[in-house]
Amino acid sequence: MKKETVATVGLILAFFTSIYAQEGQELLGDRSDGSRAISVHLIPLYAENNDREKGEQIEPGAEFAMPFSTHWTCGECHSYELVKNGWHFNSVDSNVPPGRPGEPWLYFAPKLCIQIPLSYRQWPGTFRPAQVGLTEFQFTRIFGRHTPGGGPGEMQATEVDEIGRQFVSGTLEINCLACHNAHHGQDMGGPGGYAVQVSRQNFRWAAAASCEFASVKGSAAAVTETYDPFLPDPDEKNAPRVTYQKEAFNENNEVLLQIVREVPNQRCYYCHSDLCYSQPEKAEKWASDEDIHLTAGLKCVDCHRNGVEHNIVRGYAEESANSSNPLAATSSCEGCHLSEGKDQPQAGRLGAPVPKHTGLPPIHLKKLTCTACHSGPWPGKKTILTKTSRAHRLGTPNVNKAQEVLPHIVSPVFARQGGQPQAQLGDGLAGKIAPHKVIWPAYWGILEDDQVKPIALGVVEKVVGKVFADLELPATGDWPKITKEKIIEALKALSPAAAGEAVYVAGGKLYRLNDSGELAEDLDHPAAAPYMWPIAHNVRPAAQSLGARRCEDCHSPEASFFFGKVCVDSPVQAKDGVFREMMDMYEVDGPVYVRVNWFFKLLIIGVMTLLILHIMGDLYRRVMLLLAKRAK
Amino acid sequence: MRQTSGIKAEERELFQRFGLQFRVQHTLLFLSTITLIVTGVPLWCMGRPEYSWSQAVVNTFGSIETMRYIHRAGAAVLILVSIYHLSYTVFTKEGRREFIELLPRQKDVSDVTINSLYFLGLLKYRPSFGRYTYYEKFDYWAVYWGCVIMIGTGLVLWFPEVAVKYVPWFTYALGAEVHADEAILAALSLFIWHFYNVHFNPSRFPGTLVWWHGKISREEMMHDHVLEYYKKVLAQTKSKGQKADPQSGTTM
Repeated sequence: MKKETVATVGLILAFFTSIYAQEGQELLGDRSDGSRAISVHLIPLYAENNDREKGEQIEPGAEFAMPFSTHWTCGECHSYELVKNGWHFNSVDSNVPPGRPGEPWLYFAPKLCIQIPLSYRQWPGTFRPAQVGLTEFQFTRIFGRHTPGGGPGEMQATEVDEIGRQFVSGTLEINCLACHNAHHGQDMGGPGGYAVQVSRQNFRWAAAASCEFASVKGSAAAVTETYDPFLPDPDEKNAPRVTYQKEAFNENNEVLLQIVREVPNQRCYYCHSDLCYSQPEKAEKWASDEDIHLTAGLKCVDCHRNGVEHNIVRGYAEESANSSNPLAATSSCEGCHLSEGKDQPQAGRLGAPVPKHTGLPPIHLKKLTCTACHSGPWPGKKTILTKTSRAHRLGTPNVNKAQEVLPHIVSPVFARQGGQPQAQLGDGLAGKIAPHKVIWPAYWGILEDDQVKPIALGVVEKVVGKVFADLELPATGDWPKITKEKIIEALKALSPAAAGEAVYVAGGKLYRLNDSGELAEDLDHPAAAPYMWPIAHNVRPAAQSLGARRCEDCHSPEASFFFGKVCVDSPVQAKDGVFREMMDMYEVDGPVYVRVNWFFKLLIIGVMTLLILHIMGDLYRRVMLLLAKRAK
Repeated sequence: MRQTSGIKAEERELFQRFGLQFRVQHTLLFLSTITLIVTGVPLWCMGRPEYSWSQAVVNTFGSIETMRYIHRAGAAVLILVSIYHLSYTVFTKEGRREFIELLPRQKDVSDVTINSLYFLGLLKYRPSFGRYTYYEKFDYWAVYWGCVIMIGTGLVLWFPEVAVKYVPWFTYALGAEVHADEAILAALSLFIWHFYNVHFNPSRFPGTLVWWHGKISREEMMHDHVLEYYKKVLAQTKSKGQKADPQSGTTM
């Protein structure tokens, strides 16, 4: 009995020890030996088999070659399980702190008058894709084009009709090449590149299609869900197929990949470009200036750093509260420019000039983020439309290049920054004021207990799509203009279909039907609040920061910082062209000096009127006396 | 103009209205004020596209820094003359007397009323003024108010870091706004109101040199300060043991 017990315990211990050893096993490429030289990646490529495990080595001459799997190819030397916890891939993990609100995924449907911010992260103001009825599979098909894979792309489908489809399409693995392939042939947005493969549901093939030595034809979406990609049918012409360039392989069927440890800027730009329509002559990227850090010779990854765990530094001031990356605390603006450091000097890192801010009252540094003065487009009289890679599919085929194309992101909007722990601020200060990009959500929802839940897109498409069938869509991709009558019609149709009180949110307002069936507007409903995320780039040179020329850049009755007009975007007719004052966005009363300005204006007018009347009275009497004298 | 025959013979007689200290203060005050206006307006306008001419003014001065230095030098003079005047008011007999004369009185209210009715043609006579008319008192107290505001806000703009330490509620923006607004009011009052009253009105055009020598004629005394004139005459006759001239009251 004792021997059996000991043996059982021994077996259990051996089992857990083996698991631990397996999980903790460090692979060849998990840790650098300190060399800064490029590691040559002459490597074999491996496919994934139908058990989702490591499959055969890729042979370029095979009749029905499979796409290589980054999981099993790169995973040979780098711990894939470790990498997938990185910031770019962990959005679906609800245990990951969301940190400062970032750019959401913007689902928009002009025909349904919808633009809604989505995110798997718990950023207030965004909706989880499931809340609008989008499964991970659908989400990946729509937005996977501008992801490096992983995250929702690797989630197993649970919907019955999607399980089969995912068997055909595969999962969207982390595409290591999307960032680390320095070859100019890395094709993310081209006609046969990554984005197009994702839209064709060729998730399994997307990474291979993006590299310079493979091409993919066909579409997983075009074949039935009973199609078996592991036993390809030569008669199925629409099925996805990969072709490798044989000359890229050596005699051992190995490929020389131009993998770099430090991601080149161009790779980041595919997902992280934006275009601000600040001035007509600068509407094109070549006419705009770039971030001063890049001009100074820095690269994106000089600040946005990470190790093999891919826990990249986002770079905001209070990030260390949310991130385990040891460099998070010192990779913000203050980290390089201001922080003194405990044991060694911190300020001046990477050649960062230490700002003196001579003459600047310190209250500015307490109330404003660095970016408030130094980042984003120079604020004009009113906000401008801004495009981003992820929202507007920049860099992919057939992009509508019109300025007005949806979704409508407006910037720069000075607003209080969300997500900043109150305790870190002290002095009772709310979040610091920072420049933001803003989107005014427009969606159909159900009002329950004064909370608005978005109605599933499928239901909206079916019901509202029918009501709005005759809406004309502008060629520019702008909103169609909907009348209040149309909203009433849509709400009446939606309420029974969604089993609740249907409402429409747009342009900062909540529209609902009152008891008499008329359209009522609620201006202050939190569900209608705009979603904002801070602007970090482009950083302008110090000499072009707000206030560098004169305090009146911000402190004058005309200054955009307080009185700039924030466009309130809405498809509702007669609600377009509506603006709010900038200071409304950071919830302050009008500055005292504006009321003082009015007081003085009235004082000047009043006093000078009296004085001039006095002068005129004096002159009048003198003239009258002169005339009387002459008359005598 | 009604005048007594006795006075007519002495019309060319000059009265010393302002002493040397008063005139020195006034000269320093207007020199600093004009400097501040000439340099301050372009400084305020700089960078505003609608006031592109301000760049030309700055170029004339050399640079915006030079202009700031001159503006601050003017401000320093204004501060010094203010301190000088306060000391003069407190520590000299003349200063205390002048200050008391300049205090607003009930008569000033009735003078404003009478003068207004006179301007409207509802009365045929002007009020009889003493040493200071109500509008001269207005000038004096307007400068008081102006100096307090301009110097206070100017210091906030000059030393923002000190200001935010001791008067954090008084923001730079507030200081800049009040400084600019009060400057506009002061400049308009100076160039329109004060200049009309002392230089450009028909009886004084094209100007007076009272600010230089401090003297005014008997005619001006009779017109603007008749009560003071009779006070002086009474004092003179008393000191000479003569009978006072019974002519008093209003002049035209």
